[in-house]
Amino acid sequence: MEKLDVPQGTLDLMILTILSREPMHGYGISQKLAALSHDTFQVNPGSLFPTLYRLEQDGKVKAEWAPTENNRNAKYYKLTAAGKKQLERHRERWERIQFAITGVLEGA
Amino acid sequence: MTLLRRLASVARWVLRRKRVEQELQEELQAFIDISAAQKIRDGVEPAEARRLATLELGGVEQTKERVRSFRHGGLIDQFSRDLRYAIRTLAKQPGFTLVVVLTLAMGIGANTAIFSLFDALMLRWLPVEKPQELLLLNMQPTDAREPGQTLSYAIVKGLAEHSEIFEGVAGFSGFPLDVGPAGTVTTQNGAIVTGGYYSTLGLNAVAGRLLAEEDDRPGAPPVAVLSYGYWQREFAHNPGAIGQSIPLNGVPVTIVGVSPRGFVGANVGNIADITIAAAALPQIAPDAAPLLAPGNFWLRALVRPGSDISIDETNARLAALWREIGDRVIAPHWPASRRKSMADAVFSLTPGGTGWTFLRGTYEKPLLVLMAIVGVVLLIACANVASLLLARASARRREMAVRLAIGASRRRIIGQLLTESLLLAFSGAALGIAMAWLSARFLVATISSGPFPFPVMFDLTPNWHTLGFTAGIASITALLFGLAPAFQITAVRPSSVLVDGSRGSSRSRLLPSLVSFQVALTLVLLITASLFVRTLHNLQTLDIGFNREGVFVAGLEGRRTAVSSDVLAAVLQAPGVLSASLSTHTPLSGSYWSEPAVPAGQPLPDGDTALFVGAGPSYFETMQTPLVAGREFTERDSAQAGAVALINEAYAARFFPKQNPLGQGLSARVRGQLRDLEIIGVVKNTNAVGLRRPPRSTVYVSYAQLTGDFPTTLSVRTSGSLGQSASSIQKVLREKLPNSPVQVQPISRQVQAQMVQERMMATLASGFGILALLLACIGLYGLLAYRVARRTREIGIHMALGAERKRVTAMVLSGAARLVAFGILLGLPAAWAVSRWIEELLFGLKPTDPATAGVAIALLMIVSLVAAYLPARRASRVDPMIALRHD
Repeated sequence: MEKLDVPQGTLDLMILTILSREPMHGYGISQKLAALSHDTFQVNPGSLFPTLYRLEQDGKVKAEWAPTENNRNAKYYKLTAAGKKQLERHRERWERIQFAITGVLEGA
Repeated sequence: MTLLRRLASVARWVLRRKRVEQELQEELQAFIDISAAQKIRDGVEPAEARRLATLELGGVEQTKERVRSFRHGGLIDQFSRDLRYAIRTLAKQPGFTLVVVLTLAMGIGANTAIFSLFDALMLRWLPVEKPQELLLLNMQPTDAREPGQTLSYAIVKGLAEHSEIFEGVAGFSGFPLDVGPAGTVTTQNGAIVTGGYYSTLGLNAVAGRLLAEEDDRPGAPPVAVLSYGYWQREFAHNPGAIGQSIPLNGVPVTIVGVSPRGFVGANVGNIADITIAAAALPQIAPDAAPLLAPGNFWLRALVRPGSDISIDETNARLAALWREIGDRVIAPHWPASRRKSMADAVFSLTPGGTGWTFLRGTYEKPLLVLMAIVGVVLLIACANVASLLLARASARRREMAVRLAIGASRRRIIGQLLTESLLLAFSGAALGIAMAWLSARFLVATISSGPFPFPVMFDLTPNWHTLGFTAGIASITALLFGLAPAFQITAVRPSSVLVDGSRGSSRSRLLPSLVSFQVALTLVLLITASLFVRTLHNLQTLDIGFNREGVFVAGLEGRRTAVSSDVLAAVLQAPGVLSASLSTHTPLSGSYWSEPAVPAGQPLPDGDTALFVGAGPSYFETMQTPLVAGREFTERDSAQAGAVALINEAYAARFFPKQNPLGQGLSARVRGQLRDLEIIGVVKNTNAVGLRRPPRSTVYVSYAQLTGDFPTTLSVRTSGSLGQSASSIQKVLREKLPNSPVQVQPISRQVQAQMVQERMMATLASGFGILALLLACIGLYGLLAYRVARRTREIGIHMALGAERKRVTAMVLSGAARLVAFGILLGLPAAWAVSRWIEELLFGLKPTDPATAGVAIALLMIVSLVAAYLPARRASRVDPMIALRHD
């Protein structure tokens, strides 16, 4: 199936959601995103890392270095309290958008 | 996130840059490692797994660059990296950097200097409360061609009494005052103001109080307000100065206060150190008391309109008020026609927040022309710098190709090159501001030597106007000279440059067109400069009707009656004195006197028909004004003898056409008295009121036969050294007239003062013209030298095939000639347009003077051929063997 780019403005939401389950490193996030979206979304590292750095700067995620299962040190990202709040807000908004779009598509 | 936290975050990211960079590197490496490990577990060959993982990341450097640009402070960070890189690059080429910075400093400095003068004269707000609200009152009687800004004392007072239109009315005029006790009298710039002056401007005293309405009533005790600067200089900030008495024109006047720092009056350029109320004039300067009469128009008025009244409403109310009070304030002795034209006068209000100065009228156009000239010089400098950068660009093609190949975006490289240009422009600007600061002072000193009764002074300390202007032109300059090379340099396909290794084959067409453009602009400046130089020359060699060399004048101001004859006798005894004479006025002194005078038998008109001069014996001998007929005044033309007069040729031509005026009678009003005069001589015309104006009809009357009050000037013709003569005359006068400040100066200074504006334009325009010529030649030389260097191989082949050295030289020179010719063709119409624009500043020649243009073109061609000759000679010296072995 053809892979799609992540829709504008939703990458934050997806990254925060993934991180809300467990802390994860960059490669892990990209794999998880592909797996959870049934291989529909393709996020290239050139977009992923800038977004992660921005979230870190804004205090939504925190990062620390920890060993992976293969004993390779990697930078793990973890949600902060502010990140959790942001996630809730984004999620709520996204659900409203979804509800609205569904309404339009089915009502027409 | 709060602003503070955001800033802290920016700071952290900028400061911890190194660690962040390292961490980013490690993180991306980890990405590859983990991804590869995953692939190996899935059964991919280790080497292939690594390759795929690296591809997946899609370029370590590009990802890093994106992360950098996304984070806070990314731009600052990027800019500071570019700046450091630019500093390193430029420091490696100190010669190139120095030439560019100096070129820009001259261009930008010249612009800043002229602009700071323009700003001080035209744009700066008065340091008063809400200056933008202030309006200047204009009045246009029906017989006037345009609105005038001078008003009578009665009109200003009349308007000030009606507070329902204006919150305040401030009348003011500059007025010199003789300050100090007898023996140490100095003349200071002062101002005469109406009672509402300070309250209208919204100023408060620094010490004591300022003038108020009660000081401007007839009979009020005379009081003075000092400027802050004068208080500082003369009283060392001593608050005890308030209440002290200071002799003004010999009259004790009480100092009541000090005006705020920085405020030196509403008369821009004419600093008022001592300010007195108009009503004090009869006491302080009795001879100037007639100024208060309704017939004298000498005050300018700034008004502050009421806050809730629209401008139309204000004008309407003003017109209504004028109908009401006009009759009361118009001079009652004026003829009915003139009174009618005054009564129907129209008032208008123009923005007044920048104060008033007559210098604006004189210098607005010249300063605009100078702004244009320095703008063109800056354009030429930009073109030069651009061609230097373009030439350097081809040397940097390889560097750029490598950077593009390893993944730098074109935008980033252009940004980096523009950072370099900005650095150059702002270094030039910093140096330029220093140069401007010095030269603007020199310009003000030049203007100050003009025909003004006071020194012209401006506040030229850089303010946000001038600094903003300089920063603005520096940025525009950087874009102008940096953009084209930046685009050209990055428009390369990395592969072609890196593979064929050498210089790209595309020849820039930008460089030669820049040179032609420079030639065109230079031609415009040269033609402009020679028009100004010839204007000055025409004025200097103008026959002005008297010999300006060897004559000294001393204004005996303060004495308004006849000077006793022993003063003259004593002066005649001084060494080197050939002749001396007393007169009421001297040519080009800036003041003159006019009266009605017509041939006897005709009715005397209301208006003045001639300039009048009261002249003593030997006046024309002293001035060396040729006598056309009859005789000049002698000792016999005394108060007891019959009243006599001389006329000039202009008067004779107007009132005695084709007649012999000698022995005929004149009826005239002389200082208020009706007199019958007998014409005893005719003299040549003199340019008494200005060099550019045609001589006016003039009647000379005998100094000894004058009555009432009149000014006196002593004129002395001397032989020998000017300095010695001046000091011996000064010594005699000081002994004879101890109570007057006497200033002896050559009359040639009065003549020179008439040409200050023209001299300034001639000097500056030719200075900038030469600078432009020099820059254009450097540009041409640079282009040809660069071309010859690039075409060494081609020239070598030509010569190997038998071309003579002469032919090679001719080839390079003809290339140069084509560029110059194209520039001249481009420049001529522009020069034509410019010379039409400056027509009003010229004298004695047509703006489209073919000789002027011819000289400028010839000069340009000769100098550019000289500049082209050096590279041409180098081309002809190319050794074919060496050239062919070269790369």
